[in-house]
Amino acid sequence: MLEIADIVTGYGKIEALKGVTLSAAEGRITCLLGPNGAGKTTLMYSIAGILRPRRGSIRLKGEEIAGRAPDRIVASGVALVPENRLVFPQMSVRENLQAGAYLRRDTAEIARDVEKLFDRFPRLRERAAQQAGTLSGGEQQMLAVARALMSRPRLLLMDEPSLGLAPLIVEEIFRIVAELHRDGTTIFLVEQNAHMALKVAHHFYLMEQGKVSFGGTPGQLAEDEVIQRAYLGTRR
Amino acid sequence: MTPLIDVVQVSIDGVMTGSGYALLALGFTLMFGVMRRLNLSFGAALMLGAYAAGWLHLHAGFGALAVAATTVVVATLAGVYIERLCFAPLRGRDAIASLVSSFAVWMQLEELATLMLPRHTNAFPALMDGDPFLFGPFHVRPDQIVMLVIAVALMLLVWLTLHRTRAGLALRVLADQPGAALAVGIDIRSTALMTFAAASALGGIAAFLILAGDRQVTPMFGMWATTKGLIAMMLGGLGSIPGAVVGGLALGLIEAHAQWRLGPQGRDLLAYALLFLCLVWRPGGLFGQTLADTEATARARL
Repeated sequence: MLEIADIVTGYGKIEALKGVTLSAAEGRITCLLGPNGAGKTTLMYSIAGILRPRRGSIRLKGEEIAGRAPDRIVASGVALVPENRLVFPQMSVRENLQAGAYLRRDTAEIARDVEKLFDRFPRLRERAAQQAGTLSGGEQQMLAVARALMSRPRLLLMDEPSLGLAPLIVEEIFRIVAELHRDGTTIFLVEQNAHMALKVAHHFYLMEQGKVSFGGTPGQLAEDEVIQRAYLGTRR
Repeated sequence: MTPLIDVVQVSIDGVMTGSGYALLALGFTLMFGVMRRLNLSFGAALMLGAYAAGWLHLHAGFGALAVAATTVVVATLAGVYIERLCFAPLRGRDAIASLVSSFAVWMQLEELATLMLPRHTNAFPALMDGDPFLFGPFHVRPDQIVMLVIAVALMLLVWLTLHRTRAGLALRVLADQPGAALAVGIDIRSTALMTFAAASALGGIAAFLILAGDRQVTPMFGMWATTKGLIAMMLGGLGSIPGAVVGGLALGLIEAHAQWRLGPQGRDLLAYALLFLCLVWRPGGLFGQTLADTEATARARL
């Protein structure tokens, strides 16, 4: 589904991504783990077109999307659940969902999708008319996921969905990830919580200092070592 | 002991003037909401529109409606020019960059306008003549009523556009959370341009109505419109649509009463004093966020 080859993205003189190559298979959950500052969020923003990569290729089902404007990338089927959720705080929960379908024109289908997502996240239905900024962290995370799904993505990018949430809520978020997978969504997930991520992932990558340092299946590396490297990086 | 009738009459005049201020504040608020930046040259864009219209009034005999259309069209074009020149290339930079560049364009537009009509005072056509209407003991000029009706209609139109159209959704999303606006597929370039055009058109209508009431336009109009709009927006609250309306009406009322009691100098003194007190005690205005909050969201802009 997603093929990334030798992506370089930088801020000014600093290269945050120094040639990243990885892929995410259709219908699977792929996880990217790594310490703070490894470049995980930069990679997510590069895929979503919010940051423009300097070099390299990003293919979605064979189609080159690197360098396209963010709205064109959403239109080609990529949706991002951004780090820190970034719901629209002064708009209602329902309006947040409608905003997620901004590029769609099928009004009746949009209304049906809103109802479907309310069925999936009953807490959001209860709060449909409430301002999103007044929701709890967990509810905001659900809203951010639901908003991303409103664009009917082929590929769902999730950037640290468990960040700052209580353990029980984190488990709920990962249950949702597993459910989305069962419904056939392709998921590319960035996480700090290596323990939870390894439970759901089919395939995972470790990223350190702007480069992928390992790629494989969860059984291939001892969890202790993954956690060690995901939080602290490789000891040198 | 002042008779109640006078108080009410002054208040009526204040609301009529305030509806014009509210439109100016609404223009500022729309642009501020999307860019988190102050467009200092807003008044200058409206002045350029009014001067182009005044020139055509003088040399081509344009009547009130043609003058109104010219004011709006030229003000809108000037607004688009300002966005492309001062705001689009500086998106995501420090606020000071666009502040200084919009100040420079202010001077440029003002020079352009005074080249067209070098005299200090220039004739501007009245929208309508006629005796004031009498409501019991109170009188209201017909052009004041037109201004109020058009202002209320435009406020409703803005509200409906924001809440019922796709373009309005894009604008609100961008104002609310710029980081995520990109993630849902909003095109910031076109949304920002559209917002500046709409705000300038709105301001152009306000400028025409105000100047048609004065029947003249001077080079001071750009400065005047910018300060009135800014004070009204700050009173109501940065980035708040209802705040802009309330702030404009409040400013109109306060000025009318201050003028009545203290004279024109006292009026302006009080308006600025009020802005100062508002910034000290309630920096978020009546409805809005504080400057610190908006700076934080501006930094989140990518």
